[in-house]
Formats: sequence, structure tokens, C-alpha cells
Amino acid sequence: MTPFELLEPRTLREAAALLASGDATVRPFAGGTAVMLMMKMGVLRPTRLVSLRAVEKQYSGIGAGADGALRIGAMATLSALERSPVIRNEAPVIARTLRTLSNVRVRNVATVGGHLAHADPHMDLPPVLIALGASVTTVDAAGGRTIPLEKLYSGYLETSLGRGELIAEVSVPRQAPRRAAYLKCTTRSADDWPALGVAVVLDTLRETEGAAVREARIVISAATDTPTRLAKAEAVLRGARVDDAVLQRAGDAAASEASVIGDAHGSAAYKRELLRVYLARAVRAALAGEG
Amino acid sequence: MRAEEKRGAVGRSIPRLEGRAKVTGRAEYVHNLRLPGMLYGKIARSTIAHGRIKRIDVAAAQAVEGVHRVVTGADIRALIPDPHYGPAFHDQPILALDKVRYAGEPVAVVLASDPHVAEEAAGLVDVQYEALPAVYDEVEAMTSKAIVHEVLKPAGTFPDLKHFQGRKNTNVALDFRLRRGDAEAALKKADRVFEHTFRTQQVLHVPLEPFVSAAEPGDGTLTIHTASQSPSFVRTEIARLLEWPESKVRVKVPYLGGGFGAKLYIKLEALVAALALLVRRPVKISLTMEEQFYTLTKHAATLRIKSGVAKDGRVTARLCEVWWNGGAYADIGPRITQKSGFTAPGPYDIEHVHIDSYALYTNLPPAGALRGFGIPQLVWAYEGHTDMIARELKMDPVEFRRKNILRDGRPQATGTVMQDAAIDKVLERVAARMDWGKPFDRGSGTVRRGRGVVIGFKAVIAPTTSVAIVNLYADGSCALYCSTVDMGQGSDTAMAQIVAEILGIPIESITVVHPDTEVTPYDMATLGSRSTYHMGNAVRRAAEDARDKLLALAREVGVSVETTPIAEVFRRKYGMQAGNIIGSGSFIPTYMPMDHDTGQTANATPFWMVGATGAEVEVDTETGRVRVTRLVNVADVGTPINPAIVESQLSGAAIMQLGFTMSEKMEFSAGQCTNASLAQYKIPGLLDVPEGMENEAVDAEQKGGPFGAKGVGETGTFGVSPAIANAIDDAVGVRLTSLPLTAEAVYRALRAKQGNPLKD
Amino acid sequence: MSTVQRTIRFTLNGEAVAADVPTHWNVVELLQNRFGLFGARESCGQGLCGCCTVLVNGNAVSGCLYLAAFVHGAEVTTIEHGAAGRELDAVQQAFIEAGAFQCGFCTPGFVLMTRQLLDEKPDPTEDDIRHYLSGNLCRCAAYPEIVAAVKLAAQKRRAGQGR
Repeated sequence: MTPFELLEPRTLREAAALLASGDATVRPFAGGTAVMLMMKMGVLRPTRLVSLRAVEKQYSGIGAGADGALRIGAMATLSALERSPVIRNEAPVIARTLRTLSNVRVRNVATVGGHLAHADPHMDLPPVLIALGASVTTVDAAGGRTIPLEKLYSGYLETSLGRGELIAEVSVPRQAPRRAAYLKCTTRSADDWPALGVAVVLDTLRETEGAAVREARIVISAATDTPTRLAKAEAVLRGARVDDAVLQRAGDAAASEASVIGDAHGSAAYKRELLRVYLARAVRAALAGEG
Repeated sequence: MRAEEKRGAVGRSIPRLEGRAKVTGRAEYVHNLRLPGMLYGKIARSTIAHGRIKRIDVAAAQAVEGVHRVVTGADIRALIPDPHYGPAFHDQPILALDKVRYAGEPVAVVLASDPHVAEEAAGLVDVQYEALPAVYDEVEAMTSKAIVHEVLKPAGTFPDLKHFQGRKNTNVALDFRLRRGDAEAALKKADRVFEHTFRTQQVLHVPLEPFVSAAEPGDGTLTIHTASQSPSFVRTEIARLLEWPESKVRVKVPYLGGGFGAKLYIKLEALVAALALLVRRPVKISLTMEEQFYTLTKHAATLRIKSGVAKDGRVTARLCEVWWNGGAYADIGPRITQKSGFTAPGPYDIEHVHIDSYALYTNLPPAGALRGFGIPQLVWAYEGHTDMIARELKMDPVEFRRKNILRDGRPQATGTVMQDAAIDKVLERVAARMDWGKPFDRGSGTVRRGRGVVIGFKAVIAPTTSVAIVNLYADGSCALYCSTVDMGQGSDTAMAQIVAEILGIPIESITVVHPDTEVTPYDMATLGSRSTYHMGNAVRRAAEDARDKLLALAREVGVSVETTPIAEVFRRKYGMQAGNIIGSGSFIPTYMPMDHDTGQTANATPFWMVGATGAEVEVDTETGRVRVTRLVNVADVGTPINPAIVESQLSGAAIMQLGFTMSEKMEFSAGQCTNASLAQYKIPGLLDVPEGMENEAVDAEQKGGPFGAKGVGETGTFGVSPAIANAIDDAVGVRLTSLPLTAEAVYRALRAKQGNPLKD
Repeated sequence: MSTVQRTIRFTLNGEAVAADVPTHWNVVELLQNRFGLFGARESCGQGLCGCCTVLVNGNAVSGCLYLAAFVHGAEVTTIEHGAAGRELDAVQQAFIEAGAFQCGFCTPGFVLMTRQLLDEKPDPTEDDIRHYLSGNLCRCAAYPEIVAAVKLAAQKRRAGQGR
């Protein structure tokens, strides 16, 4: 690592202004777990880091609004999210996802905003939050905007955030009465980056025999360049009563529509097979209330 | 000795002596060392796998503020005219000289007081190469036109490696052959003949303390502080390179943060020694985790095995061919090729055996010893082969083994008659623990269950020497001086137990002095599970020598040690608390070299290690994912000196091999390792450990071993890989012959079996 | 003072301290270079192995990924806390009794993480233990012994032996 100037602005707006210069060697730093790795590898050599650690406390808050929607400050750590009773009650799928997200030390430091803005497709929360219908509110010199989370990602490690635009808050519609699950598949050791993540959120009509799906949101990660919604697979489930045949059709649709990429975790062909299997398992897990 | 002091230290699970230091973070490692005026070295490495160095431009690196000096191979050659080292061949340059032979090879070093500055500048060393054709595959290396070394220079340091003959214009560093009976003829006569080929992948030791060494120049002397498993060898080799007497080179080794065979012979020691002498300041180099991938690895291997079997299930003949991928420098690969090569037919009683085992140079990072010294590769082949034969013959795999195993009193492939090798007992105990004869839940739906049992063996390296000194102080406490390196295996505790047992003193009163070649006597190295037996015997003799001298002293002053404390014996002699009793002991076992053409010898090894593994697995037929639910390790370790530490060794070795079986693999692109980090090279964590881990040391005794003990560090590795592959075959009827056993490999095999192969 | 260097004040193992640090130093470098504490050590360099574990304001972090500058005003606890001349705590004692280490390089991290786990869950299940400690690597693979040590430490704590 090489020396850099470290700035610690007291407000998010001030931080955004410091980053607006357009100088690519000036970088924001929240929990810093990803930035530190990139600096240590020498792929990032900033002249100036703008730490967000000292910004207003409100950006670390976690709460529910009157509509039951969750408001998560971008500077909330992943472990704060994991331990939050609000999250556990209103969006249990998030709490479950966090248990196997990286490790305790990373969760203690990494922030929700950094996790989302890093745009590494192997991250666990983006597919879950997109499936739940989350949106992010940003702050920049012009004020800011609110965008659906699924519109945030534009490519591998790339977002639609402008220079000097920072995520301030994440808004997540409450999970209930929808049913949700996130399954990830690691193909080497258990703590490996996933080969595939599948998040499923289902709006169902509970009936005596089996469940009919009113609405489905399916998002996959890790196997694709960006977290990806699978519209065709969602369409198969919409209005259907879930059985083996429906799941098979949903799996086929998913495998044909997703741009799956092969890497050290598995070939593209194999990951497409994983997608079929894990999609079905995620739907069943959601219906069983295991997510 | 007085009755109340006779506690019987040997055979008890005494907690490790250094426990407090380790749980408080205060244990001493080279990692912690800071010396006044010390410079940090950072290495600039080759970016290509094979090429001539045309030009090294260090100007930009030298210009970085804070850089003390940039050193290249030419600077080293000015200090040491022939700067090549190695235990088998003097083939490895301290820094690359005229050409580079693998991507990641050290080419230059930047020295600075600030390691960040050195790292920054190392990235600015500009090297121009003329690329040469490269060879990566061990079988291709046999005939490749790409030649890694134009000239081979046998080292001649160790007696067992003296006969090595290098050849010119070949990548074969060593070809070992063994001929017993006439295997070709016996194969022709056999009722059935089976032939299979197996592969293993290149993997890495990954000690969590990466390689680290420091050198401190004195007035005509040099002190090297190093995380090394072989301090005596380091001293000999550095003295040879510098043409100094050994007495002017001092090598000190504290605790090691893991070794596993990586930290043997010369790694960074020659480099820091040369740098320190060039700049006349202490120099330390600590590698990063990434750099460990460019330093030493475990041999990938291709193994072909062919057996003739009689109608009744007796194996009558076996041909083994093994190609070891040694990478760019031989390191200790030739010894693996020979010493492990001769066990390639497995622990079976086979009349006609031919073995050809080849050490090959390739343009990959060098390979050397890794916990098992080639044995896990061999067992992977012969125990897969054994199960495949049993399956074909429709024989129970345990029964098939029973029929063929090598029993005490029978000659092994070298002709050496087996003794104290509890092969039958180990096989029976693993089968019993697995409830082999009883019905087994085979699973249902998409989860299928299977199980496998395998057995492997190893001959300890010979002949090697250990020397120990016991210094009994006048208050009755004592110090043990030995050069065995405690890298986690618990040798300090085991050796102290031997001393405590013989002198009848409390173990807490014994200090084990860590290797320091100016203080502790010679030891060949801490490797190959040799310490308990060799150093254990030397320590036993040293303690007995001290005890005999104490008894003589007691007689001289007219007391009995049965009734008089040791301190009182000294007081009677010296009139106060003064004096020492020095006991010394050395040990070298007998050995008879193998015949060069046939590999035959009446005495191949002082002892055999035997290990069996039983595995139960669940296979997810929809994904190919394998969950190892139970792993049973049974071993003949003689009579354990410390049963808890022995169990920990068996278990730890098995879990390490589980990583080599399920997930670990170095990936390469044009010879460049592409997954050189723990984010991309996955070693087992807690969630990967099977819920059912069982370990057992069978009731056994090693004659000639200290208190009946022998080595155990590697035994748990032997059978893990084939036991799991056999269990997968048992569960879902597919056979994998290459490691690692990834979910995708299993899935593809399942699809192929269904006649519907996965298309890319 | 230059912009790439700063003075930080913090509490280290219960004692108020100050240090001058370059901004690009991490906490491991701070502890080793300024305070001679080597129990937190960099190994994988990526926050995966846990050898560099320290507590910042009571939370376990990877010292190799944590900028030294950010412990300004914080309370930092390392494995060395209370080690000199005092009794070992229940976790350390349990690690020794269960033989839950071999080379010892990863041990401080496991001890600190186990304390955190038991603070959060005094009676963890085997599954809790495996998940909580899954981000710490032990290449000697003393994992079964570590799980046994955590259970033993939990027992010792409940029995009121040690912290």
C-alpha cells in the first residue's frame, strides 16, 4: 500500500462534494473491507480516501416506517442488520442471509451501502434486496434521487452511480405476507464465494392443498455479471400451483434466459444445471417458510 | 529415582508445554523478529514461465525514495560465484541468473527500511525476457523439446541421494526402477488383467505463517533466524555457498507457524544471507500468502497401474509407472520419486512387481515434500485400482484386501521383510469401526449414500541422524538441547516426556531449548514423521547417559538417588548448588542401499507407518455435491508417547488431505498461477469438517522405537482421497480418477453414466 | 504533520495510548511497529483466516483490513490483554485442556472469536460454533479440538470459572 490523504467529512453531502471532482484517485471509504483488499493488491492506488465513518449518525440507523417499509442507513454495518430485531421481524430472509455472508469480522465492519455499491456479483444481499423490491436513495451535489436497486447495477463492479453520488439509505418493503428464501451454492469450501445465489420472493394464496403463486420475484447472483431478475421464470410461476412440473418449467426458463458465466467455481454449463436445481429448491424453501 | 517423582510421563496425554504462550499470543515466531537497522526485502518475480533474461532495469525501482538497494542475480554472483542450492541437485539459483524457469521465480530484490516502499519499488523492476517454449505436463516433459535445465548437477549432500545421475538434454531428474520377479510374464499368465490411470493435482502447504527468514551479519559470522524445519541443513548449505566453516554460520529457529514439509532445505535463507552480506545490515524477508504459491508446492502426478489377478482374487503381478511433476527445481522431489516410489504397489503381497518412477522438471513452481512425501498420490492410485478390481470381480473390497495384504514376515517389493507393520490389524479395526459387515443406509431420492475403506503405508526415510544433549542442572531441573523443530506437532512435549520418564523428574522442570546450531546438536531435519523415532531415540540415549552419570555421582558421594533428591546429590559433590551433568545421545538406524537396477535391499527402512481410512458420503445426485459425513482414521503408530497429541496429528492430517481431496487445486494459465490467494484457493474451514471424525491408534509396538513409539505426522493423510472416491463410487456408481473430487466432476460423471453427457 | 501521517489516541488493552501513524498502516502494523504486540498477525492478508483478529470497541475485526487511523478514540483489545502474570481465562484454559491448537499461529484469533461467541451466546450449539468460527482458518486443522474447547469454555464460564 502507498500513502494517501485521509479525509473524514462530518456530513454525507460534504463527502459527496469531495468526491465530485472527477479525480479517479479519490475514493470513498465506508467499512473499507473491499477497498482495503484492492489497495493491498495494488489495483487501487488512491491519492485521497474520503472516509464516510464520521458522517451523520442518521445514516447508520435501521428502522421501519409507518408503511412497514424498512429504512436502512447506508452506514449501518452488516452485523447491526443481522442483530436488528426489526430486520428479524420484518424481513427474516435478510437475517438468515447474513448468517452465512462472509464472516463475523467482515460483517462487523462492512456497511450496507458499501456492500451494495461495490457491485461484486458474488455479494449476497443484492439479490435478496432486489427480490424484496428494495430501492436506494442517493445523495449528491444536486440533491439526490431514489432508484430501484435492480437499476443500480450496470456491469461487473459497475453501478449507475455518478461521481460524487453516494448511497444514503436503502428502503425495503416489508417481507410479510410474502414468502422468501435465499439459497447459495458454494462449490469448493463452505466459506467460498458462491457459484450461484438464488433469491425468491413469492406472494401466495394459501390454500389447503399446496400454494398458488400470485406474484414471484426471482433474482440470481454470482453466476451472472450482475444480480439478474429472471422474468421468464417469474412468468412461469405467476398464477401457477407449484409442483414438480412447474418447477421444471421455471428451471428451464431460468437456464435459458440467464447469461451464466463459467469461472473457477464451475463451468457455465454446470452452473445452468445448478440454477435449475437451486431455483426449485429456493421456491420450495420459501413455501416451506424456511427462508 | 525417588518413588514420589516416578509419575510415568510417557504414555500420558500431557497438555503441550507451550500452551500458555500460544493462547496468550506470546509464542515466539520469526515473524515477530525485529533487528536494529534491519532492512526489509521485497522480491520482484518472473512474469513468464520460461525465458532468457535479456535485461534487468532497476533504475525506476532504485529511484523510489527510501530504497536502500536493488539486488539482482549478477550482484549475488559477485559474492557467491556459483550461487545454486538444493538438497538433491544444485539447480536453484538464489536469484534468477541467465534464465527464468517458472512464473513467480525471484529475479530481483528491493531493500528498504519501510516494507511498503520496498514493495512499491519491487513493482518497478523492469525485466525483458526472450520467451522460450515451456512444458507443464509431467508426462509430456518426458519427451518434450522444451528443456528446463540444460545441465544437471547432483548435490551429493545426503548419502541416500549420492547415486543420483542427472542426464543432459532431458527433463528427467531421476528415474527409479524396481524389478522383483517378472511382472510382464506374470501378467501374461494372469486370469484377469486390470489397468487404470490416475491423476493428482498440484496443491500447496499453506502454513498460516508464510515463509520468513532474516539474516544478521557479524564480524566474520552470520546469524540466520528462519522459520525452517531443517536448521542443520541450512547451516551446512549456507556454509558451503559462502565457503565458510560451519562454525561461522548460526541458524536459529523458534516455533513455526506450520510447516508441513514446505519449510525444508533452503527457501529464503540463502537469499537473506547473501543480501545481508552485500549490504552489511540485517535483512528480513517475509513472504505474503500469495508468494507462498510461487515457492514450494506438492507434486502433481500421473500414475499408471496394471495388475494381474488370479481367479481366486490373488494379485499376482503389478506394474506401476509414476510421473512426478517436480516443477522448475528438483528440491527433494528425487527422494520422493525413489523413497516413496518403491511403495507404489501398495501394502500387498505381490510376487511380481515392476516399478518405474520418474522425477520430471517442468516450468511450474517447484514441488517438494508435503505431509506424506508422495504417499497420498500413490495411495490415491493403488487404492482406487484395488476397489475397481474388487468391483469387477464382484468381491467385497475389504475381503479382497484381506486376501492380498502384506503380513509381517513377508517381503515387500524391495525384498525387505516386513516387521512391526500392523497392516492386518489396522485394516480390521477400520472395517470394524465402519460396521463393514452390517447393512448400510444407502439413502433415497436425490441423496445417495456410500462408503469406502482403504489402506496405505509408508517407509520412513533412511539413513538419517539425530543427536541430543540433556543438561541436568544442580537443582534437579533440566534442559534438553535438540534441533527438532516444533511446528505444531508437539515434539517439544513428546521429547520432554521421554526425558521426564527416564530421569524421573516432573515434566514442568524441563526446558526444551529450541534449535540454534551454535547450541543444539545436529539433526537431519524435522520431516517425514522421523522425529519421534530418530530424535526420540537420541533423546532417550542422552537422558539415559545423564541418568547413568547421576547414578555414578550418587555412588561417588555415597547416597542413593532412590532416597536423595537430585539437588542434594549435587550439593554433596560441589558443596553448593553448582555443576552440571551432561548426557548426550545420537542415533542412526541401520540401512542397506537399494540395488540400482532392481531396487532390491534387505533393509529399506527402519520402520513402516500404516494408515487406513474409512469414509461415508452423501451424494446429491442433482448437483454432484458430496458431503463427507464420516471419516475414520486408523493407524499403526507403535505405542503413543502422548495419545492426545497422536490423535490430533491423525485428525489434522486427515482434514488437510480432505482439502486436497475436495477443493484445493492450483490453477494455471500459461504457467502463471491464477488463484494465488486464500480467496481463490480454498482450504478447509470448520464447516467443511465431517461431523463424524474418528481416530484410532491400534494397539501396537515398534521395536527399536523409544518406548515402542514411531512417527505419526503423515499417517492420517494416506487414505483420505481414495476412501472418498471409493465411497462416491459405492453411492452412485461413478468413478473419478482425478483430484479434486469437485461437485462438477461428480455431476459430469453422473450425466455421462446416464448416457446424457453435459454439453458445454 | 503531513497529511499522510497523523497522531492517534486510543485505549489499548485498558491503557490510554497515543501513536504517530502513516495513514496507510493497518492495525496489525500499528500494534507490531508501535507497541511490540505480535499476537495479531497478518497471514492471508484478506480477512479470511482470522490470524489478525483484534477487538475494536468490543467488536472483532480483521486487523489487516482495518486502517490504524480509524482506531483513534476507540477501545482496542488484543490477545495480550491481561496475559502478563495473570490467570488465563476460561477460553484460554479450555483451549489448553482440549489441545485446541497445534502451531499456534491462528490461536489468538480463535480465542478472541470464541470469547465474542460466548458473550453473545453463553450456551452455543455445535452448529452455532461452526458458523461463528467458520471465518477462522487453522491449517493444522485442530478443528474438532477447537469445537470441544468452545464447549468446555462455555461450561467453565457457566460454572463461574474465569471470565
